[in-house]
Amino acid sequence: MRWLLLSLALQNLGRRKARSLLLIAAVALGSGVVFTGAVLMQSIDRSMAVGFTRLGADMMVVPEGALTNITASLLAVEPSELVLDADVLAKARLASLGRIAAQKIVRVEHSGIGSHHDSADLIGFEPARDFTVQPWLVEKLNRPLQQGDVILGAARDGVLGSQLLIFGKPHVVYGRLGRTGVGTHERGVFMSFATLEALGEAIGGGMGGGHGAKPAVLAPGKVSGFLAELAPGATPLQARFAILSNVKGVKVVAGDTTLSGIRQGLAALLDGILALMVLMFISTALMVSVLFSAIVTERRAELGLLKAIGARRAQVLGVMVTEAMLATGIGGILGVVLGVLVMRLFERSLVYYLENVGVPFLWVDLPRTIAFAVGAIVLACAIGVAGVLYPAWRASRRDAYDLVRGGA
Amino acid sequence: MLSCRALRKSYVTERGEVLAVAGIDLEVEAGRYAAIIGRSGSGKSSLMAMVGGLSRPSDGTVVIDGTDIWGLSDDRLAAFRNGRIGFVFQFASLLPTLRLVDNVALPAMLGKRGDVDVYGKAATLLARMGLGDHLDAYPSECSAGEQRRAAIARALINDPVLLLADEPTSDLDEQTEIEIMDELLAVNRELGTTLVLVTHNLSLAEQAEQIVHIAGGVIAS
Ligand SMILES: Nc1ncnc2c1ncn2[C@@H]1O[C@H](COP(=O)(O)OP(=O)(O)OP(=O)(O)O)[C@@H](O)[C@H]1O
Ligand SMILES: [Mg+2]
Repeated sequence: MRWLLLSLALQNLGRRKARSLLLIAAVALGSGVVFTGAVLMQSIDRSMAVGFTRLGADMMVVPEGALTNITASLLAVEPSELVLDADVLAKARLASLGRIAAQKIVRVEHSGIGSHHDSADLIGFEPARDFTVQPWLVEKLNRPLQQGDVILGAARDGVLGSQLLIFGKPHVVYGRLGRTGVGTHERGVFMSFATLEALGEAIGGGMGGGHGAKPAVLAPGKVSGFLAELAPGATPLQARFAILSNVKGVKVVAGDTTLSGIRQGLAALLDGILALMVLMFISTALMVSVLFSAIVTERRAELGLLKAIGARRAQVLGVMVTEAMLATGIGGILGVVLGVLVMRLFERSLVYYLENVGVPFLWVDLPRTIAFAVGAIVLACAIGVAGVLYPAWRASRRDAYDLVRGGA
Repeated sequence: MLSCRALRKSYVTERGEVLAVAGIDLEVEAGRYAAIIGRSGSGKSSLMAMVGGLSRPSDGTVVIDGTDIWGLSDDRLAAFRNGRIGFVFQFASLLPTLRLVDNVALPAMLGKRGDVDVYGKAATLLARMGLGDHLDAYPSECSAGEQRRAAIARALINDPVLLLADEPTSDLDEQTEIEIMDELLAVNRELGTTLVLVTHNLSLAEQAEQIVHIAGGVIAS
């Protein structure tokens, strides 16, 4: 019986192929926008908790003149000749700061890392004090980090324990980091201060030459900047005030202030996506319900006939609801497929654009994406059911004879 | 077997109320063949629809086999129509997306008669109606007469106690008309199915054990 009702519904869809295809296409468009919008919104939302806060720090202290990328990640400090003394914060003994991690950053070219033309950020950290690099290790050799070891960001390829030549000097791939969404972090090559300093000669003088002296930051006791945690109970404002009044020649960057500009921009984008989603949803729902009330009218005689030969009201409703769910469900599935394709297609340009405006992009995780997909399909089916239910219910209440005669 | 009391049916239209059936009392005994005659518009179809459980009377009762059918709940009435009544409409009434054999089998499948060989029975009935080689045809591929015969086969699939046929042969040639009537009368005689038939053909009516003449919504004789 069930398959007969199902095949009845299927054949009904097949009867008006053009109309069914149009309906399916409209629903696919609606559910595709809803699905894509939800995934993008979540991804952007996730990506907005950006920058060094993602890496576990509350603020960053850099030389006063340093250019900071809008992501405000220390790892995104434009390489410059400006440096700070490694002990400048420690000496100040600031009560409002907790852990402090110093970093040295050098951007190098023709280093032998990655493809020939790629520049690479070599990032030095202190293994004992660091809290922004090692927590992201997803795999590492079964021994402590030592001189000559490097850790690769998530975007770099390299087999654990294999040799990596940097300016011709052999290094060992000690570990790999997970995805953090911070582009410079993901493309970084991390190592201890000592390992980085040992590269100083090669970076400054040799190889391609012409780069002049070795970068100032590679001198012992100099760093590019610090990532810092707030002490428990301290506010960013207190910490900033304490730093600026005790340490000369630095700039303090805290998450919220630098990011508010972008957040506003992205919030507007999200509002746009949301508005589009709601509009698409409403218009699809309206169209589907108008279409189905016409379809029910058209099928009146057949529904009456089903009643006449003994179909219960629930069964009469079932035929129409099945038909609606089939059409809108197929539309929903197509919409999700379409959404995935579109996101695949535009992934590069979208991610590039976002990272350009300073938002490192992180896609929402797979289980959630699947949940959104299922949600979009269920929503599409729900639109179909809601659209058909009222006209079908009204028709099913009428006398079979009236329906068969097709009376108004 | 069939007993109607004070049956009335009025339709509400834009131009006011139309009284199609204006108080009919009717008794048909089990196994009988009753013919209903009357001019066009006299209310025959309206009466049949009320008797067949397809159109709710404005007033009055219909009792079939001791059951007051319009006192039943919607679902019970549907089950009653399905299992006890066979109805042949005055007009084409097959589902266009189903083959003839599916159309004929459908009422049995709705009635959850999973145990019997529904499709075998449907094929046998269609063969009896001379449609043995049209099992897989769709209604649109059949002539009006073939469709009508398939509709009769469908009315018989659940072995109804009451077979209602509203001008089943009205648009058919004489030869086909005789064949179909022979089948209906055979069902009436062999299976003891009570048959109520609306017809304009007086010679067909004369074979009936009971003739009901309707005029202006009431019984005229
Ligand atoms: N749904 C309806 N709405 C309004 N009036 C109706 C409706 N159905 C029938 N009528 C009117 O009721 C009267 C009886 O109609 P009915 O169909 O019962 O006649 P009939 O005897 O079967 O005629 P015919 O021999 O032409 O089939 C007619 O005057 C018709 O116009
Ligand atoms: Mg009639």
